[in-house]
Amino acid sequence: MMEVNIPKTSAVMASLLRSDFTTLWRNRRSVVMVLLVPMIIVFSWKALVATAGGAFVLSNSITLGLVAVGLMGYTNSIARDRDKGVFQRLRVSPLPLWTIMASRLLIQLSLIILLTIVVFISGYQLDHITISAGGYALTLLAAIIGGAVYLSLGQVIVGRIKNPETVNSTARLIYFGFIMVGMFGELGVLGDKFKKAVDWTPYGTVKTILAGSLEPMKWNNNTNVALLLTLGYTIVFATLGIKWFKWDSK
Amino acid sequence: MDAPQQNILQVDNLNVNYGAFKAVDNVSFNVLQGEIFGLLGPNGAGKTSTLSAVEGLLKQHSGTVTVAGYNTLEKPLYARAAMGVQLQATSFQPELNVAEILKLYAGIYGVNFSEEKLHKMLLEINLADAETKRFGQLSGGQQQRVSLAITTIHDPKLVLLDEPTSGLDPQSRRQLWTRIEAIREKGNGVLLTTHSMEEAEAVCDRISIIDHGRIIATGTPQSLIDKHRDDPEVIAVSRRGKITLEDVFIALTGLEVRA
Repeated sequence: MMEVNIPKTSAVMASLLRSDFTTLWRNRRSVVMVLLVPMIIVFSWKALVATAGGAFVLSNSITLGLVAVGLMGYTNSIARDRDKGVFQRLRVSPLPLWTIMASRLLIQLSLIILLTIVVFISGYQLDHITISAGGYALTLLAAIIGGAVYLSLGQVIVGRIKNPETVNSTARLIYFGFIMVGMFGELGVLGDKFKKAVDWTPYGTVKTILAGSLEPMKWNNNTNVALLLTLGYTIVFATLGIKWFKWDSK
Repeated sequence: MDAPQQNILQVDNLNVNYGAFKAVDNVSFNVLQGEIFGLLGPNGAGKTSTLSAVEGLLKQHSGTVTVAGYNTLEKPLYARAAMGVQLQATSFQPELNVAEILKLYAGIYGVNFSEEKLHKMLLEINLADAETKRFGQLSGGQQQRVSLAITTIHDPKLVLLDEPTSGLDPQSRRQLWTRIEAIREKGNGVLLTTHSMEEAEAVCDRISIIDHGRIIATGTPQSLIDKHRDDPEVIAVSRRGKITLEDVFIALTGLEVRA
């Protein structure tokens, strides 16, 4: 056997992360759009802070932002790069396949953290919503857990659908559905029964754990159930998404 | 006396199936160090499927592929580290420029890549002015030069090229042939697929003709011509009385146009 050089996984990850961050930076306009929707909600729901509370407004805002990150950002970039053959070129290199996705997911994680911080700042500056230090830390963690649901849902979409245009339109449809169901459902516009049903959806459970994290003193059994459901959704979506995923679009 | 050349690639009884369809049927061949080996065949013959199995993009139904002594199924990372691959349609992240793509793959292959080394490489491939251009902004010839640079960035023992000159103008094609020959001069092996007879004759030391998933002939281009020169089928398809490799190829694979 001839001597060959197997690069360290850490060095490979560093290279992948550098290029994936560069890609994200060059697409900063779409990043701004992802951050804009939650900020608009924080601003337009200002009147609800007094009646429904700051946690209600911030949790809905962050949830919609997480949906955008998972469904629009991650899903479309995976579908596009797969269709272009970017993954094929990476697959013939001496890197473990998991590093390709790990790098992409770490980028999305950084976006989730950025989004959550932007909502905190917007909430404070625009609506004068203040949260305890523990609340900020817990909410960041909850945002990561909640973000995982939508990233894994995005994985299901790219696992099931190969054509990037169809992935894009499907993701937009689901995103729109979440906005309508989430916003109108949460506001009670569609009735109490609908509101209760929404609480058990991936939107509702993530919103519940975020609201519970923003006000830790109000964490109760409902929040525990929502957390378990959130983790359950993530496991189911991730399992299906990984099982169905193909590295090339042919 | 020259030292015997070592096998850098050994393919034994390779079978690749797509469902019930047998794309590669009991294919065996080897590539030596310091050799350019061509795999010729009409469209749908099984060239790319064979190459994909060697590259690890497809899992073979049966058979073994060994690169630099490493079995591609048992030690895939080692086998891939010994190879440099240029796919038929290579693409890179559209947001990255040429320099960033080179640095990415240098990192992936564990190559120390200083700015000085980057500039030297760009000069060698005549792309010093295109450092900040995105891959999609380059011409076909420029894209091929970048792809080949990345393929050989880690000085691999075996280089795999899938129809490398497809779509190139004559000047770019000749330039690429020179670069491929330089890889051979370094003592590395090259496996390329092509359906250009001119390319096979100009560049390859040995070729195998593959059709319907099976190898039907192997040898040097000249030896195949000499062996089949007097075959009635070859004479029947020859033009202007001179027997060429293309005549042998058509006689062996048939005149029928493949989809």
